[in-house]
Amino acid sequence: MHPRRATFWALYLPPVVWVGLFFLVPIVLMFALSFRADMQGDLLSLWRPSLDQYQAIFAIGSYWRLLAISIGMAFVVALASVALAYPVSFFLVFRAGRAAGLCLMILMIPFWTSFLLRVMSWKFLLGSEGVINSFLTYTKVIAEPLGGLLYSRNAVIITLIYVWIPFAALPIYAALQRIDSEMLESAADLGARPWASFWAVTFPLSLPGVLASFFMVFIPTVGEYVTPLLIGGSRGSMFGNIVQDFFTKAANWPRGAALSMVMLAVTMVLVAIAARLVNLRRLLE
Amino acid sequence: MTTLALSAAAPPRPRVLATYFVVLVVLLYLPLGVLLLFSFNAGTSLSFPLQDLTLHWYQRLFDSPEVLRAARNSIIVALCSGTAATVLGTAVSILLTRFRFRGESFLFALAMLPLVVPIVVLAVALLVLFLAIGIDRSLWTIAIGHTVVALPFVVLIVTARLAGFDRDLEDAAMDLGAHYPKVIAMIVLPLIAPAVISAWIVAFTVSLDEFALALFLAGNDATFPVYLFSQLRFASRLPVMIALAVLMMVGTLALVLLAEWIRRRGHRGQVN
Amino acid sequence: MNHLLRKFLLIPALFALAIPACSQKEEAAEVTQTSGDLAVLEWAGYDAADFWTDFKGKYPEAKVSFEIGSSDADVYGKMKAGTKADIFHAYTGWLQFYVDEGLVEEIDVSKLKNWDKVPESFRAMGRFNGKQYFLPWDWGFSSILYRTDKVKGSVDSWAALLDPKYKGHIATWDDGPGMVTVSSYIHHYDETNISAEQLSAIKAEWIKQRELNLFYWAGEPELIDGMANGDVWVAYGWQGTYATLLGKGVPVAYADPKEGRNSWVGLYGIRKGSPNKDLALRFLDEKLANATASNVVNQFYYGVANDEVMKSISDPTLKQAFSVDDPTVLQRTNFTPNLTARQRDDWTAMWTEVKAAP
Repeated sequence: MHPRRATFWALYLPPVVWVGLFFLVPIVLMFALSFRADMQGDLLSLWRPSLDQYQAIFAIGSYWRLLAISIGMAFVVALASVALAYPVSFFLVFRAGRAAGLCLMILMIPFWTSFLLRVMSWKFLLGSEGVINSFLTYTKVIAEPLGGLLYSRNAVIITLIYVWIPFAALPIYAALQRIDSEMLESAADLGARPWASFWAVTFPLSLPGVLASFFMVFIPTVGEYVTPLLIGGSRGSMFGNIVQDFFTKAANWPRGAALSMVMLAVTMVLVAIAARLVNLRRLLE
Repeated sequence: MTTLALSAAAPPRPRVLATYFVVLVVLLYLPLGVLLLFSFNAGTSLSFPLQDLTLHWYQRLFDSPEVLRAARNSIIVALCSGTAATVLGTAVSILLTRFRFRGESFLFALAMLPLVVPIVVLAVALLVLFLAIGIDRSLWTIAIGHTVVALPFVVLIVTARLAGFDRDLEDAAMDLGAHYPKVIAMIVLPLIAPAVISAWIVAFTVSLDEFALALFLAGNDATFPVYLFSQLRFASRLPVMIALAVLMMVGTLALVLLAEWIRRRGHRGQVN
Repeated sequence: MNHLLRKFLLIPALFALAIPACSQKEEAAEVTQTSGDLAVLEWAGYDAADFWTDFKGKYPEAKVSFEIGSSDADVYGKMKAGTKADIFHAYTGWLQFYVDEGLVEEIDVSKLKNWDKVPESFRAMGRFNGKQYFLPWDWGFSSILYRTDKVKGSVDSWAALLDPKYKGHIATWDDGPGMVTVSSYIHHYDETNISAEQLSAIKAEWIKQRELNLFYWAGEPELIDGMANGDVWVAYGWQGTYATLLGKGVPVAYADPKEGRNSWVGLYGIRKGSPNKDLALRFLDEKLANATASNVVNQFYYGVANDEVMKSISDPTLKQAFSVDDPTVLQRTNFTPNLTARQRDDWTAMWTEVKAAP
């Protein structure tokens, strides 16, 4: 048992210390900061705890509404990304054969190009005088340029799905890879039709990957702010934009910290509920 | 196992999936195609009409040491943080799926938490931390932040693969007297190698284009996204940035295709 | 919570004990500092060598490094968080706090060789309680930028930004205090004394404006692209955007609204406690020098506090952008007043509510 003990600590300590020091401690600092009344004085000195920020936040209904909307958007994005990514993962594992690694790389490479530049070129393509609209008006498919392709909440959702699909494919890919092909053969031998054996055998076995993928997309999307900032226009802001604004536009770190704590709490509650429903522990075994 | 049996077990019309994949790839590369086009455009903004075609920007790129240095910095940071995140994340995955201990939920929550917190919050928090304990900001501080942010992705990908894998092989090895660390190295790691590699690629990708943390935690050396942001004020500098982005993308594609070609040749050689 | 904070207090405390030991050495070095390391908290783009070229030429042994701040709030936040930068770049409206919180050193103007090129009106902007704390450097107008081919007639009032005629084609700056300013011009509020009811009315006004607005721009390139490709017809813009669009041949005009244009000024301050005060002062002095100042005008299309350079502008595009030939424009221009911390918090919070509104 002893070597296993030592192994345990060798595996346990580095990640925990790293995340503890470079994540928990800063977050605790932020949590403490949320109890500051304002930015006056030396930021790193002791201050008198105050509930001012939380009181202000709770009084503003529109913040809560925006949080609910952001959660809704994140849910839609996660659902769609996972659904659209599944066929990609399936293709990679069961169709691509030895080219799977290559195909995976091909999927990832666009993300090594600056997101900012890619969004600029998307705006170029989707703008009201951009390529797509010009083509559609030229061929008389539409009379007026489509306004909704950019600068709207829907544009944000579509862009987020588009950006997440390759990432969402990965946990599913990992899960599908461990499916024993013999099991599938037996199902076929027993006369199961392809779709039936997919739903009865393949999909359930890939479920841990599907769920991992869902949460991997859902959780960070709740706090997303870059895409709404670049593509959302005036009405496409998400909760993350408000949080970011308090840090980078309002110089009101305590308010920003309080808002992030609220978002953190709500997201964690949601994830806890979902984990309960789905019985994550059982899946991990 | 034959491909025939597999296709019988899978949904019908296999070419649908391939088409789907190709369409997705085209959609992903469309903006890159636009960038490629404009990297040859003599004008300085992304709008029609195109002015003269020119290789001028690529030439200018090689005369711009700051641009190249920013790209180099990004790659270094991504390499380090990607590797660190993969090592730490794989450790966490192994712990979660192979060990039984009281803090399991805590460990999982801890590994997932960086996903929940908006990156700008983490950026400011880390800034305050580094200032408070007197660490100078540099490429290393950026790498530290990136490792934290990439960790959840690694854990999710590797765990998805490791979960449910039989422990038979490992138990058998231990019965034969192997120490557990050796079991991990010789049995577990090879089993999850594809997932670990995918996870590394994701961690690398997350770091390469990350902006918020890099902006807050950068010292004198900027990474490419931060440098790009600072140069965007000059409309005239944009084409050089585009040229670099295109070059990086084309270069990587070429490398990847080359690696694939070599692998295929090697494989064919083996078969013969 | 408390013991964690106390732990963090310990480290600055230890440093504080060490400082008296170092300060003796500093006193001696200060008077003749022409080399050493200088750290500047600067805005993106201004770190380019062109914008400190005189200093670079005159003091080749000095090493200058830059920390990038992405906004006034960011610069202020970093100064509060304890950045080690020696010099920082802030804009009108965001100056008061540095003085009030003791974050900025006084500038000894007698040591500045280029100070007499700075007009009195600009000098006054950096003066608080009779002391010169900031050095004015770059400046520009804010006004309404519009496409002459898409807008019938001309624009003569700030109210154009809220005009339903341009629904879906308006772009305004992503800045709460900026929009409070616009509203106060339109409704003739006293910008320095906005009451709570007025702020509510302003908030409601901008929530309604959201229906007409296409996007909020945070940086000029976004606005330039938007106006160049015809998505945006009417916008809140700085004259740098105007000059750039003129240079691209886009048909635009820069309004001279009846309420008067707005103007902002960028100023440099020396961080209190900087160990490189002398070198910093020299850096500031060379910022006002002619070559550096000319680069700002020619590359960024912003004005500079160096009157010599401004008077020698010959490029017609630039002359048009600065309205050099029409002195009445400057006379009717409203300069951004200073915000108190309370106003800053209220007005920026108001803007987040505009964004969050249903």
